[in-house]
Amino acid sequence: MNPSLASAVADLPPLLRGHVLLSGAAILIAIAIGLPLAFWAAGRARVRMPLVGLAGLVQTIPALALLALFYPALLMLDRATGARLPALGFLPALIALSLYALLPILRNGIAALQGLDPSVIEAADGVGMTRRQRLLLVELPLGAPVILAGIRTAAVWTIGAATLATTVGQPSLGNLIFSGLQTEDWVRVLTGCAASVALALIADGLLALVETGVALRSKPRIWIGAGLLALGLAAALLPAAGASGQSRPIVVGAKNFSEQYILASAMSDRLRAAGYRTERRDDLGSAVAYRALAAGDIDVYVDYTGTLWTNVLGRRDTPPADEMRAELTRRLADRDGVRLLGALGFENAYALAMRRDRAKALGIASIADLARAAPRLTLASDIEFLSRPEWRAVAAAYGLRFAAARSYNPTFMYRALTDGSADVVSAFSSDGRVAALDLVTLADPKHALPNYDAVILLSPRAAKDRRLAAALRPLIGHIPIVRMREANFMVDRDSGKKTPAEAAAWLLSDIH
Amino acid sequence: MAGTDFLALEGVAKSRGGRRVLDDVRLSVPAGAFVALVGPSGSGKTTLLKTINRLVEPDSGIVRLDGADVRATPAPALRRRIGYAFQGIGLFPHMDVAENIGIVPFLSGAPAAGRAARVAELLDLVALGPDFAARAPRTLSGGQAQRVGLARALAARPSLMLMDEPFGALDPLTRDELGRAYRALHDRLGLTTIMVTHDMTEALLLADRIVVLVDGRIRADAAPAALLAGHEDEAVRHLVAVPRLQAERIAALGARP
Repeated sequence: MNPSLASAVADLPPLLRGHVLLSGAAILIAIAIGLPLAFWAAGRARVRMPLVGLAGLVQTIPALALLALFYPALLMLDRATGARLPALGFLPALIALSLYALLPILRNGIAALQGLDPSVIEAADGVGMTRRQRLLLVELPLGAPVILAGIRTAAVWTIGAATLATTVGQPSLGNLIFSGLQTEDWVRVLTGCAASVALALIADGLLALVETGVALRSKPRIWIGAGLLALGLAAALLPAAGASGQSRPIVVGAKNFSEQYILASAMSDRLRAAGYRTERRDDLGSAVAYRALAAGDIDVYVDYTGTLWTNVLGRRDTPPADEMRAELTRRLADRDGVRLLGALGFENAYALAMRRDRAKALGIASIADLARAAPRLTLASDIEFLSRPEWRAVAAAYGLRFAAARSYNPTFMYRALTDGSADVVSAFSSDGRVAALDLVTLADPKHALPNYDAVILLSPRAAKDRRLAAALRPLIGHIPIVRMREANFMVDRDSGKKTPAEAAAWLLSDIH
Repeated sequence: MAGTDFLALEGVAKSRGGRRVLDDVRLSVPAGAFVALVGPSGSGKTTLLKTINRLVEPDSGIVRLDGADVRATPAPALRRRIGYAFQGIGLFPHMDVAENIGIVPFLSGAPAAGRAARVAELLDLVALGPDFAARAPRTLSGGQAQRVGLARALAARPSLMLMDEPFGALDPLTRDELGRAYRALHDRLGLTTIMVTHDMTEALLLADRIVVLVDGRIRADAAPAALLAGHEDEAVRHLVAVPRLQAERIAALGARP
C-alpha cells in the first residue's frame, strides 16, 4: 500500500470514533431541543417567526467561525464562573454543531405540524384526545416524514461540518484533511474526505430507511434503520468507555504546518517510550495554542520565542535571544504556571536568503553586506513579509533599499530565485527548501530580526511531572537547524514524500 | 325550567375580533330532540355548536348538559361522551377504519377484545360490511368516509350528537340517503341531535325543530310545519321561502301535460 494511504488509514479509527461521537451527540441534542421547541412554537405565530429567524441567522455564520467563537466564549464563562469548563475540544465543538443542526430540525418540525390537515386536528380534539394524545397519536406519526427529512438534512450538514472541529482541538476526520492540506499530502486529504462522505451517506441512508418505514408503516424498516444507527453510536462509545478507567493521557498540541506535526510526533514518540499514553490536538490556531496550554486543554507543544514575546507578553522590543528566553521563562511561569522547558536548538524566523553561488560572487555574508549591493538587486518576498514589522525593522536598521521588491506565494518565490528573476528572498530559516536549493541565510549582526527560537512549553499540570520533563529533555538543544530543515523537506517535497511521523522518527534517530 | 332540560344554553355570548359572533343565546333542548341549527353563512351556528363540547369557550353564559355546567368536566372527558361529526370528517389517515372507529374506546382505555366486536357492530349500524374494518381511509368514497365518521362518533354510545354540516360535501343522492339513514339511527338509538346545516330543505325534512340563527341571535325556534306556515321575522320567512318555492316550481313542472 502507498505509505501515505497506510498512515492515513492507520490514523483513521480514533478520528472516525471522535467524528461519530461528536456528530451523533450534536444531532441528538439538536433533536432534543429542536422538536419540543418546534411543537411549542408551531401554534404561536408570535414566537414562530423570530425563532426560525434566529436559527436561520445562526446558520448564516460560517461553521468555522461559529466553532472559533465558542472557544473565547467558554473561556470567558470559565473565568466568570470558575466552573472549570473545557474551552477546547469536545464541548465547544458540540455546542456549535448542535446550534448548527437546530435550524433544519426546528423548521421542518414547525412545517410538519402546520402542514397537517386541519380537519384531522379538529377530529382529534373532537373525539376527546388530550393535548399529549393528539401529539403522540396524530401529530407525530403524520408529521414524521417531514420531521425526519429535517433530521436527515441536519445529519448530513453536521457530519460535514464536524470536520471543522479539528480547529478547536476536537479530533475528527478533519484532522486528516487539515494535516494533509498543510503537508500537500493529497492521499491523506482524500482519505479524510472519503471517510466523512461515507459516514454522511450511511447516516442519511439509515435515516431514509426509518423515514420510509414511518411512511409505509413498516416496523422492520424503522427498527433496522434505528437499530443500526444506535449500534454505530454504541460502537463509537465502547472503546472510549474502556479507556476512561485509565489516567488522563498527555495531550500533545500542534499548530498547522509540517514542522509542528513533525515535532509533535517526535514528542509523542518520546513520551510513549517513557510509558505515557498520548493524544494529539492538531491544527491549533497560533493564538489558540498558547491559551489552550495555559488552560490545561493541551499539555505540551512547541512555540517560538518571538511569537510568545509579541503575542503573549505584548512586547515590541527585540532583546538578544538569551535575554528574551530568560524573561519568557520567568514571566510565563509566574503568570500562567507554564514551564518553558528549553530551546530545541533551531530558529524558525524570517531570514533573508540568497543562492550560495550568487552570494559568494557578490561577496555577501551578512545583511550589512547586502545593504551595499541591494540597490542593484531584486527582492522576492512572500505575500505578507513587506507589510510586517520584521521587514520595517530590518530595512531601517541596515538602510536596505532594493531595486525592486515583489510578492509571491512561497512556491513561486523560490522559483523566482532559481530562475534568476530575483536575487534575495524572505525565507523561513527552518524551511527545508533553504537546504534543498542550497541557499545561504544572511547573518543579522545588528539583531534587527527578532528571535524565533523553537521552545518546548509545558502546561501547569505537565510542569509538575518530572518524569515527563525527563522524557522530553533529550530534545532540548539537539535539533540543529540543518536537521530540522531536512526533516521539513522530507514532508514538504513533491516527490518521495515522507509522513510527519516518519520524519519525526528520522529526527529522533540520533537522539538518545 | 331550564335546569330540567337535557341540554341548556344560558345567555351564551362570544366575540371575535370585536364582532359579536354569539349574542346572549338561550336555548333548551329536551332529551331525544332532533334540532337543526340553520342560518346564513357567518351567523354563528358552528360557533354555537362548538360551545357545547367546548371546542369553543364562550366569553359569558353557561352550557349545561344533564343539568351540570360543561366546564365542570375536563374538555377531553366531556368530548368522549359527546358524538361529533363534521363536514371535513377528519378520519385519521394513518389508522385503518377499525382503528378510526375504535379511537374513543381506545382513549377511554376499553379492553382491546371488546373493541373489535364493537367495531363490527358499528360498521353494521352505518351499513358498511365487516370487510371495511381493515381498509385505509384514503380508499373510501366520500359517503363511505362519512359513514365511518358517524360510526366513530357513535362508538362510545353517546346520548348527544353534535353534527356540523355532516353531509355538506356529498353528492345529492348520497346526501339524501345518508340523511335519512342517520335520522333512523337517531330514532332507534334514542339520541339527542343538534345538526348545523345551511340547507333549509335538509333541516325541514330531517329535524323535529328548527332554530334559525342570524347575526349571532336566535330569530326563530319552531317545528318545521309551524315555520312553513309563516313567521313574523322577514329574514326567517325569506330562508323558508326558498325550498317552498323550489318545491312548487318542481311540482308545476310535473303537472304540465
